[in-house]
Amino acid sequence: MAKRTSYFPELKRNWWLKHPYFKKYMAREATVLPLVFFLLCLLAGLYSLLQGAESWQGWLTFMQSPLVIAVNALAFIASLFHAWTFFQLFPRVMPLRAGGRTLPPNLMVLGQWFGVVVVMVLAAWIFMRGL
Amino acid sequence: MREQDIDIVIVGGGGAGLRAAIAAAESARKEHRQQRIMLLSKVYPMRSHTVSAEGGAAAVTSEEDSLQAHFDDTVAGGDWLAEQGVVDYFIRHAHRELVQMERWGCPWSRKPDGSVQVRRFGGMKTARTWFAADKTGFHMLHTLFQTSLKYPEIERLDEYFVLDIAVVAGAVAGVIALEIATGELILLRAKSVILATGGAGRLFRFNTNAGIVTGDGMAMAFRHGVALRDMEFVQYHPTGLPGSGVLITEACRGEGGILVNKDGYRYLQDYGLGPETLLGHPQNKYMELGPRDKLSQAFWQEQQSGRTGKFGDSDVVYLDLRHLGKEYLHERLPFICELANVFINVDPVKEPIPIRPAVHYTMGGIETDAHCETRIKGLYAAGECASVGLHGANRLGSNSLSELLVFGRLAGEEASQRAATVTFADSTALKEQAQAQKIRIAKLYDAEGEENWVELKRELVLTMETGCGIYREVAGMQTTLDMIRDLQTRYRNIRLQDKSRAYNTELMQCLELGYGLDIAEATCLGALERKESRGAHKRLEEDLQQRDDVNYLKHSQVFFNAEGPAQLRWQDVDTHLSAPAERAYGDAGKGIKQ
Amino acid sequence: MTTKRLSIQRYLPEQGNNTPYWQDFDIPFDDSTSVLDALNYVKEELDGSLSYRWSCRMAICGSCGVMVNNTPKLGCQSFLRDYEGPVKIAPLAHFPVEKDLIIDMGLFLDHLAAVQPYLINDSRLINDSEEGTETFKQTPAQMEKYKQFAGCINCGLCYSACPQFGLNPEFLGPAALTLAHRYNLDSRDQGKKQRMPQMNREEGVWSCTFVGFCSEVCPKNVDPAAAVNQGKVESAKDMLIGIFKG
Ligand SMILES: Cc1cc2nc3c(=O)[nH]c(=O)nc-3n(C[C@H](O)[C@H](O)[C@H](O)COP(=O)(O)OP(=O)(O)OC[C@H]3O[C@@H](n4cnc5c(N)ncnc54)[C@H](O)[C@@H]3O)c2cc1C
Ligand code: SF4
Ligand code: FES
Repeated sequence: MAKRTSYFPELKRNWWLKHPYFKKYMAREATVLPLVFFLLCLLAGLYSLLQGAESWQGWLTFMQSPLVIAVNALAFIASLFHAWTFFQLFPRVMPLRAGGRTLPPNLMVLGQWFGVVVVMVLAAWIFMRGL
Repeated sequence: MREQDIDIVIVGGGGAGLRAAIAAAESARKEHRQQRIMLLSKVYPMRSHTVSAEGGAAAVTSEEDSLQAHFDDTVAGGDWLAEQGVVDYFIRHAHRELVQMERWGCPWSRKPDGSVQVRRFGGMKTARTWFAADKTGFHMLHTLFQTSLKYPEIERLDEYFVLDIAVVAGAVAGVIALEIATGELILLRAKSVILATGGAGRLFRFNTNAGIVTGDGMAMAFRHGVALRDMEFVQYHPTGLPGSGVLITEACRGEGGILVNKDGYRYLQDYGLGPETLLGHPQNKYMELGPRDKLSQAFWQEQQSGRTGKFGDSDVVYLDLRHLGKEYLHERLPFICELANVFINVDPVKEPIPIRPAVHYTMGGIETDAHCETRIKGLYAAGECASVGLHGANRLGSNSLSELLVFGRLAGEEASQRAATVTFADSTALKEQAQAQKIRIAKLYDAEGEENWVELKRELVLTMETGCGIYREVAGMQTTLDMIRDLQTRYRNIRLQDKSRAYNTELMQCLELGYGLDIAEATCLGALERKESRGAHKRLEEDLQQRDDVNYLKHSQVFFNAEGPAQLRWQDVDTHLSAPAERAYGDAGKGIKQ
Repeated sequence: MTTKRLSIQRYLPEQGNNTPYWQDFDIPFDDSTSVLDALNYVKEELDGSLSYRWSCRMAICGSCGVMVNNTPKLGCQSFLRDYEGPVKIAPLAHFPVEKDLIIDMGLFLDHLAAVQPYLINDSRLINDSEEGTETFKQTPAQMEKYKQFAGCINCGLCYSACPQFGLNPEFLGPAALTLAHRYNLDSRDQGKKQRMPQMNREEGVWSCTFVGFCSEVCPKNVDPAAAVNQGKVESAKDMLIGIFKG
């Protein structure tokens, strides 16, 4: 049999730079980085609380430095962005049906955001009461 | 050259070929026969032209319907040129085949209670057309292809271009094919061969067919002495998109779409299809639901009288669907909405679709008996490439998808049975024929002539359209026939630009053109010699505008002749169940037994 | 008539070119000229050796996929009128290229076959009697569940849009997983159990990271990303049940 000579272009490591859609995907995936930072901060806070007042104070100062605030603000925005992408996708993964019809995706996305607001208000209420 | 021994070879992976393969496998299983089944196709099976079919498949289904009615519609639709025994077999078996498709997973459109829904189709007395939205062929083909994967005994050679069948001592002995990926030849020794290579619509310039519908199998059988039967009957579909020829399904009219000329007038009432039916109340066999030949002919008349509109450089009439409403259109005819939007930038919800007739279906083909066998023993044909005698002078829409199933299955079963009783032919004779093919291809590669296939193809499709169009007259056909013969001579002097072996698509197109030239000759010869008007064949000459049962209630058979022009003979038609009567539609058809 | 410049990626190993290169052609075009029309123009008028696949030219056979300006598209359904400036045409990404725009579809077909894409039902009936055969019942609502996923034309565009397939060709990929899910959702089918092992594999649903580009490029709105990720839910359930059953 004659040999087939095919050419197989390997995917390079920068494949995701080749198309705007992939960049957006990478941005979505990258939201995890500031979030990790935020979680580390929380862990550090917990740890310093156990270490005593001094280290707690140190942690508080650290948290108030503009850079850290900026990164955490970024984390907040990133998590909203991530939630947005996730909410968009959710109706497609879990199509809900009511009365024999699939619920319109827009309605489901709205429903999820409504959920977020409810949770936030609840958290704020508990937090305020605690003060 | 590679060689393999295969019990049953099937050429073509469309609806007919796949159905045949499954039937052969089932039948071998049932009889506990060990048989190798090989399906070859020049494209991956799911790319076959069956995929484009939109409207649906016919079978008697509802309580009010009857087998007799389907029989009568088919025979009358074919202007009494159908083989009535064959029609009878067909209408009796169509339903079980559609049920079988459902059992294999085909997503037929449903009624709210979960049973299958049927729709109206042109030329049919009642609604009996099963459909899967407006992608019936697509769903059928994919269901068949996917189901075929269940059978390990069905082997496939995808993207193999079959060059020829091999015949030894009056019986089929194998096929010779070219592996497109490498340009290598392969010889398959076989006990039975089924041709399921589809129609030949690409012989005409303006058509609804896929690029692969070039009639290869017809030409192969023809060259080995099998008659091409009733080739002069070429169906024009009344509603193709201007420019591309992309089909707008008849189901649009079944659902209530209307045809109007440039003045917004429903002109069909002037051509024996009236009276005008109420908007939104389509009536079988009236107006827009008349048969295709009548509708295409009416277009031609309107065009002659200057009552057609313009779209680009095409003369058009308009298919108006607006009254059906957006929701209904998107549910029942989603593909049509998409096609009109993409190809001509027209939204059927808001505007009428400009359309014009386009060549659509080849009624004639490889002559077979009622069991799908040709005059070469062990060589079967099924589907659009075959002339088993179902369609006569005009095919009714939605009969052919059912035909693929009914006769694909029959051919598969017959082929399996035969393969159980015969032995492989002696391979010396076979090898000689394979060698001849090898030489033929080598010559094509080496030829240094000055002709170019593109030029020849263009001249062919143009002359077919002018000479063998919706209306035909002797001078035009004679010119076309002479032209075809001249093209055949020029074809010998052709030259390839691409000399490579792998994926030489230019070589494929050259080969297809060669086959096409043979079939074109048969088509034109049949048309020239049929001196009457019947079904899709309409003559313009004053004295030939009527059907002439005295002289032409006959099939035309065209035979290949290596020494000179092809030869034509006439063959009697089986009319033992229903004597020829007048074929009439609209109010004129009332009371006439059809 | 105006013309447009087409840059086509050529690959002609037999001519001794072992790497692809770009070749430019100027194509006359109007509002109705598709990329496929343009390729046909090149083949018929300028260079008969250009190779590519096509057939139906009405976006249903799935043959004519190519990269148009780096995005997978059906050639017959993309129109030159919609592109500003020159148009770059290359073979579908992530597949081995055989010649010019022709890719090797073999692996794609293997993946399709691997998921047992056919109705599996014990009450199988090959009707030998001539009449009295019956269809399954399936209500429009039951059909609605899988209908969208049954619209796949096997064009392979989604594989070219999927970086995971690009990184690991063993990944069954969007179309195959969608097909499996289509049959799993069919009320007439009983074959889910047989199909789940394929989907549960690392190369099954779990290779997907929900990039979502596959659904974006799908010419038939099949939404393979949705199917694959619904498949993940099914797979998770299946594996959990497996654990409890021991
Ligand atoms: C746009 C359109 C819509 C239609 N709609 C309807 C409808 O609604 N209802 C209806 O009943 N009918 C319809 N028809 C008609 C019907 O679809 C066809 O008659 C039918 O699909 C033909 O099927 P087939 O299996 O005979 O051939 P095809 O599906 O054309 O398959 C032919 C096969 O043969 C192979 N082949 C050909 N030559 C070679 C070779 N040299 N070597 C190897 N392989 C080869 C091809 O690769 C292919 O696999 C429609 C037709 C068109 C054009
Ligand atoms: S899912 Fe869409 S893009 Fe993927 S093969 Fe099917 S039709 Fe093509
Ligand atoms: S040619 Fe068939 S999908 Fe484009």
